[in-house]
Amino acid sequence: MKETSRIIRTILLLAFIAFVFGALIYSRIKAYSLAPTMKPADFHGLPLWHIPIAYLADYFSHGWICLLFAFVVAGLIYELIPKQAITRYMSGSKLTGYLLALGIAPFLTVCSCTMVPLFAGVLYSGAGIGPAITFLLMAPSSNILSILLTGDLLYWELAYVRIAVSVVVAVTAGFIISRTPWGKAVEREHQVNASNHRASVKLVQPPLDQRLISALKFVAYLAKQILPFFIAGLIAVAYVEAFLPEDIVGTYLTGVQGVLIASVLGGPLYTPTLVEIVIGRGLWNLGMSRGALLSWLMGQPYDVANAMAVSRIARWKVVITYMVIAWAGSVIFGILYGIFSGSL
Amino acid sequence: MNEIYVEVIGVNPPCKRCDATWKNVEKAASILRSEGVEISMKKLDIASKDVVKRYGALMSPAVAVNGTVKIMGRVPESEEVEKLLREALK
Repeated sequence: MKETSRIIRTILLLAFIAFVFGALIYSRIKAYSLAPTMKPADFHGLPLWHIPIAYLADYFSHGWICLLFAFVVAGLIYELIPKQAITRYMSGSKLTGYLLALGIAPFLTVCSCTMVPLFAGVLYSGAGIGPAITFLLMAPSSNILSILLTGDLLYWELAYVRIAVSVVVAVTAGFIISRTPWGKAVEREHQVNASNHRASVKLVQPPLDQRLISALKFVAYLAKQILPFFIAGLIAVAYVEAFLPEDIVGTYLTGVQGVLIASVLGGPLYTPTLVEIVIGRGLWNLGMSRGALLSWLMGQPYDVANAMAVSRIARWKVVITYMVIAWAGSVIFGILYGIFSGSL
Repeated sequence: MNEIYVEVIGVNPPCKRCDATWKNVEKAASILRSEGVEISMKKLDIASKDVVKRYGALMSPAVAVNGTVKIMGRVPESEEVEKLLREALK
């Protein structure tokens, strides 16, 4: 009896997941736009209270597919990824540390619950400060949720560029910091001999239905954390698009100066809540250049809460160095991307 | 062996998922306690040197029973923890 109900539950859960994937594929085949379709001009003449409602209705009438997909994929990957293997290799040599930091950060870091512990784990247990910083920078700027939404709400080329730029900036920052005297000091201070811990981790794996349920619970948790901010961002964007004159955006958010302004403005907004993508979209619609848009997204890939937690471990000097490198990277690549995409 | 020590390893300041894990472990522990099993519970900071030294890099929340990490990166149901604890008794 217990077995049958378990099988039924597993099938139902798999069916739900298949539905989510199917919905996305279907939307692609039919070439729906999953992003808001309203243009700034559409808002003219609407009463104040109606603007955000119209915008939200416009977005959610098709955007729910992308949102649901992004959250479900993030949750599933997080649950099903072989955690033990990752943590074991993460405390290995420097090179594997860097590679893993790049390859895995995008899948794990949807939740700050993982970021700080892994940062500390990588730093303490052998790979050192370089890979730890790489991980920390890579994490928010190109995790799976933000990449999927960048692709859908903005455009896919930007999502790929965002990944590539995060890789370059994250590795550079890790490498530079591991060479600075203060970076080395943090590393020396924190190195512990953790070579004999392997025997003490023996994970137990629950059956599939429980893993799926726990994945979906994680999805719900993520959604609860992120969606309120996301929706607030959409409401803000509705007003921005309705009232911010296009010539202001056209004057200040284009060219080299636009990149600089965008990189600074994007900084404080950067939280792992996807708000920067939504607002970036609004500004882009109003005429922000592509270069400035990249810079806006990459601005300062840290969020204040994590920076606080990290600074307890790694000292402010390291945190500030990493903020400066991240900011410089966003400006340089913003300008380069602007030149290459013909939209500076 | 009639004594178990459980460590719930999480981030500091505590996150919601770590708190949920602690609650579920407590629920399981109280069932076993009522059967006369001695269980000591402790919260550990995942980013402390001591934890990394003993267990290596971990993902939070993690649960260790008698010095072995059994669960990490997810919130276990209290039934699952209860089962783990009963196995540790054997």
